[in-house]
Amino acid sequence: MITHSDDGPDFDPDDPLAVILRPPSDLLGPPAGRYEAIRRGAVRRKLLRAAAGAGLLGAVTAAVALPVLLAPPERPASPTVPLAPPSVSGPPSVSGPPTPSGPPPSPSSGPVESRPADTGPSESSGTQGSPPEVAPGNPPTRAATSAPTSVPTPVPTPLQPSEAGRTPGATPGSG
Amino acid sequence: MKRSREEAASELFAALYPRLAGWCRRLVDDDGTAHEIASEAFTRLWARWTSVAEPRGFLYVTAANLVRDHWRKLERERRAVRRATVEAAVRPGTEQADPSVRLLVQSLPERLRVPILLHYYADMPIREVSVLTGRKEGTVKADLHAARELLRAQLRRSVDHTL
Repeated sequence: MITHSDDGPDFDPDDPLAVILRPPSDLLGPPAGRYEAIRRGAVRRKLLRAAAGAGLLGAVTAAVALPVLLAPPERPASPTVPLAPPSVSGPPSVSGPPTPSGPPPSPSSGPVESRPADTGPSESSGTQGSPPEVAPGNPPTRAATSAPTSVPTPVPTPLQPSEAGRTPGATPGSG
Repeated sequence: MKRSREEAASELFAALYPRLAGWCRRLVDDDGTAHEIASEAFTRLWARWTSVAEPRGFLYVTAANLVRDHWRKLERERRAVRRATVEAAVRPGTEQADPSVRLLVQSLPERLRVPILLHYYADMPIREVSVLTGRKEGTVKADLHAARELLRAQLRRSVDHTL
């Protein structure tokens, strides 16, 4: 009855292991009706397992599908309005080309008008001689930004120490 | 189809139940528990009848696990009673399980116990044990050898302890 390993007997007959690994000689016959009871129990358990599996599958499906169904429908994205091209009649200090034929700006009005409006109030009041901020890509023109003098002078004029701090843009080397 | 499956189940039951229940009887206290365990093993087998490739091995391994659970439950109950009453009144002298077979199931790790159960009790050749456990035949032989050595050592220790 016992199938020994392919290498031959595993142990001697007087080996104490033979007591443990002896063939199950004592048989225990099933009580009457045990077979039918086991079969009924197995069928019931099979049905229960199938029901539990179906329930689990349904729960998982619901858990996945409900958030998708209950989510509000997404509105189509509204088309974005294209940005207007930069206006030609913008601030003369930023976009306007230098106009040599125009009237020379006055020392008092030139830097103030060319300064953008978004600069802070302290900057506009405290730093008179600082160069105005311009948009990137548009290099400030010397005539528009730093021309406090009414007549351009090719020869740099020496400045007083007090004036140098206020009008740095007046010197050619500072531009 | 269903008829043949029913016949196969009936034949399997007639061939294996007495041996399985007798083996369980050596491990537990009474006939009733042995029948319970053997019946539960068959119920589990037939609840997944189509997916079990080797019913004999499945029955013995399931029965061994159920027996181990039964022992654990008994031990818990004994501990609880011992805490509640005088220890002398509930001395575990009523145990009738075959201590040598109990040693087999209790002392071996599952990796070694399963090949022993399948080979020596479920009457399966090494080739089938190899297929069922997914191990190579050489590995199964090595596992059987290691299990025997472990059992020998345990037996020697228990004999020394009794003397």
